[in-house]
Amino acid sequence: MDFPENLPSEDVGRLEQIVSHFFPKALHIVLNSRIPSLQSRGRTRERCLSSSSGAGLNNNNVRKSDKWFNLVMGDRPAALEKLHSWHRNILDSMIIDIILVHPTTTIPTHDDDHHHHDVRSAETVIERWVVQYENPLIMSPQSSESVTRYQKVYKKSIIMLRSLYAQTRLLPAYRVSRQLSSSLASSGYDLVYKVSSFSDILSGPVTETMKEFRFAPVDVPPGRLCASVTYRSDLSDFNLDTHITLPPRIITDYVGSPATDPMRFFPSPGKSIEGTSFIGRAGRPPLTGSSAERPHSWTSGFHRPPAQFPTPNQSFSPAHSHQFSPGLHDFHWSRTDGFGGDSHQLSPPFSPSGSPSTPRYISGSNSPRINVRPGTAPVTIPSSATFNRYVSSNFSEPSRNPLPPFSPKSTRRSPSSQDSLPGIALYRSSRSGESPSGLMNQYPAQKLSKDSKYDSGRFSGLLSSSGSPRFGFSRSPSRLSSQDDLDDPDCSCPFDFDDVDESGLQYSQSLDRRKASSSISQSLPIGRKSSQDAAVGVLVHMLKTAPPLRQDSSTYMASMSGVQREGSVSVSVSGTESEFSMARSTSDALEELRNYKQLKDLLLSKSKSGSGATRVH
Amino acid sequence: MNCEVCQLKELEVESFEIREVLRCILHTIVFHRALGLIRPKDIDLELFEITYVQCGEIEVEKKIDEKVDQFISWIEKHPNKKSQICLSFYEVKSKQPSWFTNKIERLYWEQWYINLNVLQPTKAPVGKSHHSKLVMDPGEASEERSSRRTLLEQSLQEVLFQIIKFVNEKKDHVPPINDGVIYCPFEITIPSSSDSAFGMDMFKRILHSGHPSMLG
Repeated sequence: MDFPENLPSEDVGRLEQIVSHFFPKALHIVLNSRIPSLQSRGRTRERCLSSSSGAGLNNNNVRKSDKWFNLVMGDRPAALEKLHSWHRNILDSMIIDIILVHPTTTIPTHDDDHHHHDVRSAETVIERWVVQYENPLIMSPQSSESVTRYQKVYKKSIIMLRSLYAQTRLLPAYRVSRQLSSSLASSGYDLVYKVSSFSDILSGPVTETMKEFRFAPVDVPPGRLCASVTYRSDLSDFNLDTHITLPPRIITDYVGSPATDPMRFFPSPGKSIEGTSFIGRAGRPPLTGSSAERPHSWTSGFHRPPAQFPTPNQSFSPAHSHQFSPGLHDFHWSRTDGFGGDSHQLSPPFSPSGSPSTPRYISGSNSPRINVRPGTAPVTIPSSATFNRYVSSNFSEPSRNPLPPFSPKSTRRSPSSQDSLPGIALYRSSRSGESPSGLMNQYPAQKLSKDSKYDSGRFSGLLSSSGSPRFGFSRSPSRLSSQDDLDDPDCSCPFDFDDVDESGLQYSQSLDRRKASSSISQSLPIGRKSSQDAAVGVLVHMLKTAPPLRQDSSTYMASMSGVQREGSVSVSVSGTESEFSMARSTSDALEELRNYKQLKDLLLSKSKSGSGATRVH
Repeated sequence: MNCEVCQLKELEVESFEIREVLRCILHTIVFHRALGLIRPKDIDLELFEITYVQCGEIEVEKKIDEKVDQFISWIEKHPNKKSQICLSFYEVKSKQPSWFTNKIERLYWEQWYINLNVLQPTKAPVGKSHHSKLVMDPGEASEERSSRRTLLEQSLQEVLFQIIKFVNEKKDHVPPINDGVIYCPFEITIPSSSDSAFGMDMFKRILHSGHPSMLG
């Protein structure tokens, strides 16, 4: 290409450089804003850079190639580097096609008797960006006369790229790419790109719905840099909103909806249910605390209809209809308790921003793609550290909790935090004089709010079994699971009654814990990593194995009042293991409630008598 | 160099939407005039499904936020008014020190006028008694609000497109980039306590702008 001869040679070289660098920069901007796989990388890099550079951009931490056009984008992915090297001739146009891969159903022919709709993937070009350097074949005399300094040209090309950058954010495809990049499920949608020098003619019906925007060309003698974009202004045909699933969001302050049960108080994080793996893996209904699935008023930005799953046999908690969001589960309820169902009815009573404030670690940490259809990939459980910290922060709100406020110690990660959640929750509820139904409800709520590891539904099972033996047992397994969380100082301790006159309970808890933990840990396959899974699984296990304790209730009560608490707990623990899956009925739950009440009275009297209560942390 | 003026399309906003709308527009304009080395920042609006770009400079952000706060407080004192915010880019020309003036002259080379019509939340139709407010169906009110919100979102997008178009079409008047200068110096003028004072401000600015026809 012949540049004007009247320009200084260095200007000529610089002009050529401007043009040659314009293409990869434009490509980087477009692909970075459109292709989900390239997006995350770019953003991560940006975050690292911004954190390291502190205030303002430091020239030292920006690569020279990134400084072109004064627009720091971060490292270019390898794919872009290859494309850059491919586009050698600046006279070649660069055509970037942004293609939406979407499922499409084939129309069955009349010959087919079976109405079988094949779901296939189709590709539709939703955007076409064209960047080219137009070089007039004949140099006009005017251009040869004007001394166009490269600085002006550079300035104008900077402005052009700024507007191109802003334009990428305004076009409809940007939202699609954001949805896809944040979605974890393989929804069948994807955005891919194609870079070429020659454009395929877009199909007729497509071009009719497309609009065009031309960026004002920048004169770079002897030619000019041009850019334009042809885009589909309306992407509603692809039904993206209904098909692209949003990542499950853990609701740490999940509380039931007041509409379903006004009497209930559920300061429970719904996310405790999510992705917990229980010991009895077979047949647990999927639970999700994802606010995305629930069309409640407090959720923002997510309007997916909640998927209705077949509810398990509801022997208890008839007031709650179980709603499970699709996906995130390969667990099926073997027990027919009201596990999880309550949580979906709950609305956060206090968190002003329930979902937004939720740490989105599940989307970050969840590498396996979660399929929205049931029975697919398991969900990774958020780390107990982050979860417990969040949960504990919720518990420090006494105003929202009708129960006595927990002391700061209670929110610390302590051995007693996991103990006897079912029993103590019931104990508290009965003390506050709630109605039995409300009591039952509070029990799960308590548990949920206190410990992410436990499911609200589980408590129904716990209540239905005999009270006192289960009381001891429920503590032990929770203590067992807490082994995994010992290194987490922020684990909430819902049932840490430091500030309540249940010192007797705590004492017994601590004893139970020590004795039962070792036996239970051997019996239950709890891995170190899935501490929350372990905790919930242990609890479930304990609850399910409670029935035999009913027969030994009298002996248990006696032993509880005695000094040998440890022994009773160990006995009941072994008994519970054999009865893992048992149906519970409301009457069972009520009976258990009564037992718990008795136990509570007993322990109260004991604590009053000063039976060596020690503060458990 | 002449001063390019761009009048942006008028937007009907409610008081709680002002902050987001103004920040979006002002940052978008400044982003196109921050020609130094920047790392752009994408910001999602909360009220609308729009993402705009900031230049990433903290001083810019502070300046804009400060002015937006001032504007909001002014709007609270003067409700139901059509107001205009002027974003002007200038070049600093140090005037030769003379006996009379020693101050630095500002040469305005671009001005953007953001036109807002701030609606008040009261929905009672004009002319009816206040009892009629209760008659209004809450469902209707929310429908009306959501349709108005959708319209505003579309209008805001049109305004952003308008900015991009203007920025593309007029490039010659932009002063050269100085080394070390990240963004072109700008000032934001909000309406002052009275309209006449606002007009006076405009007149003062014209005097200071160093328009060739006025200053020769």
